[in-house]
Amino acid sequence: MLEAWTDVLRGPVFRAALTFAVLGLVRHAVITLWEMRRMLARAGDKRVPYRQVLAATARWLVPLGSVRQRLPYSLTTLTFHAAIIVVPIFLAGHVALVRAGVGWSWPAIGPGLADALTIVAVVTALLLLLQRAGARDTRTLSRFQDYALPALIALPFASGFLVAHPAWNPFAFDLMLFVHVAAADVVLVLMPVTKLSHMVLLPTTQMVSELGWHFPPDGRRLVGVALARGERPI
Amino acid sequence: MTTKGRYSFFVEPAAIAGSDRPRRFLEAFAAVLAHGNYALPLDVYARLSAKCSRCAAACQLYQTTGDPRDIPCRRSDLLLRVYRRYFTTAGVTRARLFGGFELTDEYLDRMAEEYYRCTACRRCKATCPMGIDHGLVTHLARWLLAEIDVIPKALLVAVREQLEGVGNTSAIPVPGLKDTCEFLEEELRDLFSVEVRFPFDVEGAEYVFFPAVSDYLLEADTLMGNAAVMHVTGGSWTIGTGNYDGINYGLFYSDRMMERIARKVVDEVHRLKGRKVLVGECGHATRSAWFIPAFCGPDAPPVVNCMEYAHQMLEAGRLPLRRELFEERVTYHDPCNIARTGRITEQPREILRAICRDFVEMTPNRAENYCCGGGGGTVSIDEIRAFRTGPLGKRKADQIRETGAKFVVSPCANCKKQLREVCADNGLDDVTVVGLHDLILKVIDFSAAGATVPAGSACAGSVD
Repeated sequence: MLEAWTDVLRGPVFRAALTFAVLGLVRHAVITLWEMRRMLARAGDKRVPYRQVLAATARWLVPLGSVRQRLPYSLTTLTFHAAIIVVPIFLAGHVALVRAGVGWSWPAIGPGLADALTIVAVVTALLLLLQRAGARDTRTLSRFQDYALPALIALPFASGFLVAHPAWNPFAFDLMLFVHVAAADVVLVLMPVTKLSHMVLLPTTQMVSELGWHFPPDGRRLVGVALARGERPI
Repeated sequence: MTTKGRYSFFVEPAAIAGSDRPRRFLEAFAAVLAHGNYALPLDVYARLSAKCSRCAAACQLYQTTGDPRDIPCRRSDLLLRVYRRYFTTAGVTRARLFGGFELTDEYLDRMAEEYYRCTACRRCKATCPMGIDHGLVTHLARWLLAEIDVIPKALLVAVREQLEGVGNTSAIPVPGLKDTCEFLEEELRDLFSVEVRFPFDVEGAEYVFFPAVSDYLLEADTLMGNAAVMHVTGGSWTIGTGNYDGINYGLFYSDRMMERIARKVVDEVHRLKGRKVLVGECGHATRSAWFIPAFCGPDAPPVVNCMEYAHQMLEAGRLPLRRELFEERVTYHDPCNIARTGRITEQPREILRAICRDFVEMTPNRAENYCCGGGGGTVSIDEIRAFRTGPLGKRKADQIRETGAKFVVSPCANCKKQLREVCADNGLDDVTVVGLHDLILKVIDFSAAGATVPAGSACAGSVD
């Protein structure tokens, strides 16, 4: 029974979830880039400090220099991101599945490294949760999704590790495989509709913030007209 | 008539009148989204905010108060929540299906209070991994509040005077201006035996001068330094009696006002057939002037800050200085509006190293500086002084104390007022806050300067 559900989840549901994720993220990227182009076209002052913006973008893509603030949290999130990006893409088992499915393949990482990174992913995800709950400012700021997402992301890594190491798995193999694909499907679906969309939008944010200050030449007059306040005494 | 009690700052009655403020706010929001470039930033910020609290670590206000209200991300969320609920398909659909957040009068009051606790110094932006510019959100939120008349009275009255009254924020009439300049010319004569002129209404000058008009009331040394630098460098400049105020409080609360005030500056330059805008020692006046190309097109007069001019002259060897340097320990405060993006950070430092024997830096500095605590127009709101010099200004007081400096150079009229109050209220009684040109004035070598003024120069003009 569980096996049948697992087959559905790793078959049509996975394909649907992956398609939703990819199309959704591409949609975000396209809309954002399109709108950025429009913002610049509309701007009265088109002189953008491109070098500064690109440098800031690069700095934040691999933020090694920015860990000074909240050092434990910064180090945790850096290693977390490294682990969760490398493992799903370069795990030998996944590479084999992709090869079997669509014929593409790429180099895989060795089992030792995969195990280490998977453990790092799970441990850092839990640390992120603890650090978030443990600091007063993040505790005040956090919404349900800020706790739920790291926990949810830890699930496919934890269950995947147990699937790959049946000798260490205290649960049934079928159950762990089910959890692994189900959790992965949920994460995929959530990618375009939560803050996980930062995976494609992060490279745009420095430029978006810069462009926000590049006002259209007649914007304010039109706002005054729209609100019938343009001619009012101050 | 003023009203206090609803907010920490005075407002005029229109700010709290009417039962339809939420509707009017949303109308204003819709108009601004339709006619501006704010929509995409709001959308991206609403989507990506990770609630990691790095912004809190950078915010000097939050560092001092520890109050969750002061976490930049949380403050920005006040506006982003409204944006999501009313201006996104997902938000509108979710509300229709599940109910939830509705914009209320009380919510607007909360926004007003909190968006004027922020100085929009944008220190938080540099530390946000998602690049969220909380200063932009504060800037926008204040404009939207202004369109429902929620504006600190101090800022509103100044702008009203500037655009509908005497023509400047301090209501200094032209005779008052000329009297002041005449007095400054006499001072320069008495102190340095030199004939320095404040030239009025000279046509065709290269620079038309726009200091913070309050300098004419409060900063004699800065103005004398400005005039002295122009004199010894043979600079072609003038003061226009049609408009002599670089202050632009529109930057603090309304893009519509910001444009109107900036256009007045450009109109005066055009009236005098001048070529460039020369901004005095004022951070926000400089930053507002940098928006002139956006409002008036790429052919608008270029904007030069007086420190950029002085630095150019120093580099070119045209600013003669005496060998005796300023002896006392000096430190430098970076005004946020010119330093946060790194546009003017090195020029004043190079001048200070050339004229001071004991120059020390505050830490952090340059683009990472702490705000004086009076940014975003808060310095003009006298009734919140205790908040400004306490929670907002304490970080700055600590920085100044750590340097052991006797003089703080602060090339911004608003920062000067704020820092003087910060020093007074934080036990830094032996610290003097001065402008950069105040110190330059003390070490200019008037005798080395070519006393002859280039033929046809604007310096030939004089006070009537």
